[in-house]
Amino acid sequence: MEGRDASRPAARPGGDGALGAGRSPTRRFALVACEIFYREVCAVVARSRHRIDLEFLPKGLHDIGRSGMSARVQDAVDRASASRPEAVLLGYGLCNNGVVGLEARDVPLIIPRAHDCIAFFLGSHERYLEYFYGHPGVYFLTSGWIERAQVSGDLRQLSIEEATGMCLSYEELVAKYGEDNAAFLGEELCNITRNYTQFTFIDMGVGPSAAFEEAVRAEAARRGWRYEKISGDWSLFERLADGPWDENAFLTVPPGCRVGAEYAGRIIRVELREKRA
Amino acid sequence: MSQFPELYEAILTGDANAALARTKEAIAKGADPEAIVTGTMIPAMDEVGRRFECNEYFVPELMISARAMKRALEELRPLLAKKGTKPLGKIVIGTVKGDLHDIGKNLVASMLEGGGFEVVDLGTNVDPEKFVETVKEKGAQLVGLSALLTTTMPAMKTTIAALERAGVRGGVKVMIGGAPITQEYADEIGADGYGENARSAVVLARKLVGVGG
Repeated sequence: MEGRDASRPAARPGGDGALGAGRSPTRRFALVACEIFYREVCAVVARSRHRIDLEFLPKGLHDIGRSGMSARVQDAVDRASASRPEAVLLGYGLCNNGVVGLEARDVPLIIPRAHDCIAFFLGSHERYLEYFYGHPGVYFLTSGWIERAQVSGDLRQLSIEEATGMCLSYEELVAKYGEDNAAFLGEELCNITRNYTQFTFIDMGVGPSAAFEEAVRAEAARRGWRYEKISGDWSLFERLADGPWDENAFLTVPPGCRVGAEYAGRIIRVELREKRA
Repeated sequence: MSQFPELYEAILTGDANAALARTKEAIAKGADPEAIVTGTMIPAMDEVGRRFECNEYFVPELMISARAMKRALEELRPLLAKKGTKPLGKIVIGTVKGDLHDIGKNLVASMLEGGGFEVVDLGTNVDPEKFVETVKEKGAQLVGLSALLTTTMPAMKTTIAALERAGVRGGVKVMIGGAPITQEYADEIGADGYGENARSAVVLARKLVGVGG
């Protein structure tokens, strides 16, 4: 696959290597990210020439509805903005509209133009779309998706799956709806991956990749799915942490403005705060 | 009150076997198949929809009721065809290109059937051209497009454009739905309506074909 070999960590932009010896003075940013990126974001922040304060939010926000997710991310953005960094960087994509309505308060917000986390792991929206449409039925896995498979705490209670009954076990279905309907609902409502046919493990080269790979391969065999491993691409993570944030790949939301959805093309856009009531 | 209260109850409680048995009994007694549908089955599904709106029923209840209704309808279909009974309208429905999610789409399709529509379900990952072809072939008045991913939402716009290019857009109403879909998006891409859930999809479809409901 295209993209840099994920097993080799990136050289630090600026290329110096000596502590504090970069050409540009240290700048200070804040980064609010989904915990699905835990390993990757820690790696790029550690290597960045900038000082970046980090906050991770729990995985699963994209399943609690737009307003629920955007309220929680907004709270984190506001916490991050309070210490007046130059900008708040966001480790989220459009994520089921969960960033729609987010406001930049006193400092700009920088958001990658991505539908979801897979574009981050693949390095660009374009590579994501190419792979996605070339592999119908693909289910992507990364270290984060393996290590943090469970949705925890109140997010599970608030999730669409929980609200619709998609999480019910066969036993629970039988108890509520009888055996005949339980078999039907088990397949038609609760088997959410029934149309998937392939696991693709995106190897970012962080953590015990061989163990992750083996786990995905075994699960693919168990389900009778195809298996593929592809190399991840660090460039979107690195550009998020280091800049520059070119307009084609990143949305810069100036203070007083908010995020809107465009879906096609550039995915997200800047809207004036007044536009949405 | 329904003429066939036990069938009504079987649909309401999602008992597919009972719904089939009661339908067979009604047919054996010489009941008018059209009356069974319009007098009992559609009102039962409307009551299911009402309970859903009031949070008395949830998605699993909708699904099992729709299943019971379908089981009964399959038994009646040959008789309805023989009588030349017309549905409220024909809808071609599918999940758009690139998207393989169909739980919501299937539920909407079932509820529309229960609401008196003839449904042509094209499944998932449906090419825009396939929608066009089927609309022409079946003479449908409605097209229902579903997407679960924001990644695949633009395929809704592409599908509407394909209907326009083929010269059939004027003859159909397009309704869209799915978790990330909004009324704003429906307006933006020139769809005729957006259904927030399976119940509102039925209400919308009836409105779009000019039937109260």
